Amino acid sequence: MKELLILAAIPTFLIYFSLAVPKVSITRKLTPILHWSQLGLVIWMTWSVLTGQEPRITIAPGLALDRIGAYFVVLTTAIMASCVTHADYFFEQEKTSIDESSWHLRIFYACINLFLFAMTFVFLCDNLGYLWIGIETTTLSSAPLVYFDRTKNALEASWKYLIICSVGIAFALLGTVFIFAASQHGGIGNGTLTISELILRAPALSFPLLRLGFIFCLIGYGTKAGIFPLHSWLPDAYSEAPAPASAMLSAALVNCALFGIWRVVQITQATNSHSVTFELVAALGTITVVAASLFLVRQHSFKRLWAYSSIENVGLMLVAIGLGSGGLFLLQAINHSLAKAAVFLLSGNIIQGAGTKKLHGLHGIIKSSPMWGGLLALATFAITGSPPFGSFLSEIAILTASANTNHWILAMFLVFAIALSFVAICTHVGGVLFGAPKADFNAVQPLRASIVPAALICGALVLGTVVHVDFWMKLR
Amino acid sequence: MSLDIYEMLALSAAVVAILMLGTSHLRLNFWLYGIHTVIVALEAWWIGGLAGHTDELFLPNIFGAIGLALPQHTVEALFFGLFKGIGVPIFLGSIVDKVKVEGDTGTLLPSALSMHLAIILLGVSYLLSAQLPVLSNDADTKIGAMAAMSLVFSGMLLMLTRRLAISQILGFLVMENGIYLFALTQTHGMPMIVEMGVLLDVLVGVMITGLLLFNIKKSFEHIDVTQLTDLRD
Repeated sequence: MKELLILAAIPTFLIYFSLAVPKVSITRKLTPILHWSQLGLVIWMTWSVLTGQEPRITIAPGLALDRIGAYFVVLTTAIMASCVTHADYFFEQEKTSIDESSWHLRIFYACINLFLFAMTFVFLCDNLGYLWIGIETTTLSSAPLVYFDRTKNALEASWKYLIICSVGIAFALLGTVFIFAASQHGGIGNGTLTISELILRAPALSFPLLRLGFIFCLIGYGTKAGIFPLHSWLPDAYSEAPAPASAMLSAALVNCALFGIWRVVQITQATNSHSVTFELVAALGTITVVAASLFLVRQHSFKRLWAYSSIENVGLMLVAIGLGSGGLFLLQAINHSLAKAAVFLLSGNIIQGAGTKKLHGLHGIIKSSPMWGGLLALATFAITGSPPFGSFLSEIAILTASANTNHWILAMFLVFAIALSFVAICTHVGGVLFGAPKADFNAVQPLRASIVPAALICGALVLGTVVHVDFWMKLR
Repeated sequence: MSLDIYEMLALSAAVVAILMLGTSHLRLNFWLYGIHTVIVALEAWWIGGLAGHTDELFLPNIFGAIGLALPQHTVEALFFGLFKGIGVPIFLGSIVDKVKVEGDTGTLLPSALSMHLAIILLGVSYLLSAQLPVLSNDADTKIGAMAAMSLVFSGMLLMLTRRLAISQILGFLVMENGIYLFALTQTHGMPMIVEMGVLLDVLVGVMITGLLLFNIKKSFEHIDVTQLTDLRD
């Protein structure tokens, strides 16, 4: 229990601090410092699980941390800290367009901290009910982030986000109830929602109910993650939210939703019938990747482009989950998070400089700002999966794994879709980078605007060159 | 062919939800929603008494400390009925007051037709509930499952066929009630902490959407969701 309180201490303090202190620039400077200390705290607390000395830490009944969860907690806290560090610069630039009081910004920072705590909580959950509560809390705490601009479009986007994700998560609740019923019929007495116990007793659970529960949970948490037919809220929410918030949503929140799916897949896999998980989850992932790459061909707005790229990566992670490999899922998630956060933060800079989000209004960035243009080019390579970045290794590993298990059709579609999206994204970003530079590009480009994206890209580079894939494959 | 009291309660909750579909008058919808949630809370109390749930909980200890010895299911049903059955309609009613919804932009489907559709879906849920395996220690939980599924369907119909944004919130709440009722009749309720957490999340969600709705009225001058179509590819 004390681990949970330690993890909650800094976010809770920051929530009160953000709301109470009227001078928001203090909050803006203090939050990154405290978030980086939170990262240090998290690494120190989970060190034994990260290095594999202990298989899991039990925190309280219903809360436990295993190795993959520990890596995710570290990743999420690191991404939040980076985005908040960059947000300090971003909101300083944006200050000229906020004519109201700083109340909106204070609510924004308070919600960021609640969001961080909710996401950390999700990765700690060993109980399906707590997992549901955590994921719904992340939805509720990120809706004000999307609504920050208070424009009509932001309002529409946050309304769609809240309603569609809440309905989706309600379906996930139905799935949780089905799994609970399956455990009651499977001779566990009063039934249990504890994930580790369900995995242990999986062959005894009533399979029809478990399968129904699995499907509903997949649909429910999949809506939150952005799976193909249910993704309609995602491009709107990512494009209307301010750039640090889009980076947080894309790089940290999808991991939470997919982690929920991963937990349910773990339970279903422990039964003797694998076919449900392989066929359904991997097929759904492939359909999502193909659909996203088709959508990517025709895009008009810079941030929507990256939103569809997120949907594509969600599909890839879903394929990794469907193949049953937690290590591959983690690897793809880490690479995607690092690169996507860098991309969104850089896009935020560029959009602030150019004053428009539309692709036809952005061109010649590499001449207006060589630093940002160069970093954007590197980040684009990182996100589309070209060597030497880490996402190349993870995508090759996923393709190899699907070929090893004889899923040739899946592998073929994936190769086609990844190639198509590479071409589409590079074409669009090429249009942004090259061409005649705009005359009215805002020339203020301090070095600290580029530090965080550059650091994230370096991280992606390190993962691609130094760390070997086998390290991740052995992470089960 | 006689009905136990909990089956009767479940079915009347389903029928009240179908009544909700028959009218697009907002105040009446709120009243019907309140009545229907209180019926579900009564059912929670009744089934809790039947099952005698005694797992990990601390709220009755708090009540015990102040001298009230309330069993767990009573506490749960009380919270549910009070906050969701009475608090939520009052909150939504105050929002509607402030928003001053003038007249009714109507529905995408005529009310009589949507009621008939809901009754057909009630029949569909009867057929579906016959497929579920049954709890061994209760005689017949199929009627409860049927009522719960029809509640979920009615909630979905409410969300899909209404134009006003506030009816979407109502539809979502009815769906949540249906899922809660399903958990109640099939599994005698989930662990208390989980249910309280779910209730809390749903209430906070309703508050946030209510605030958003207020701002939608301010910005768009209407709360008609079919006209929220600016963001498109």
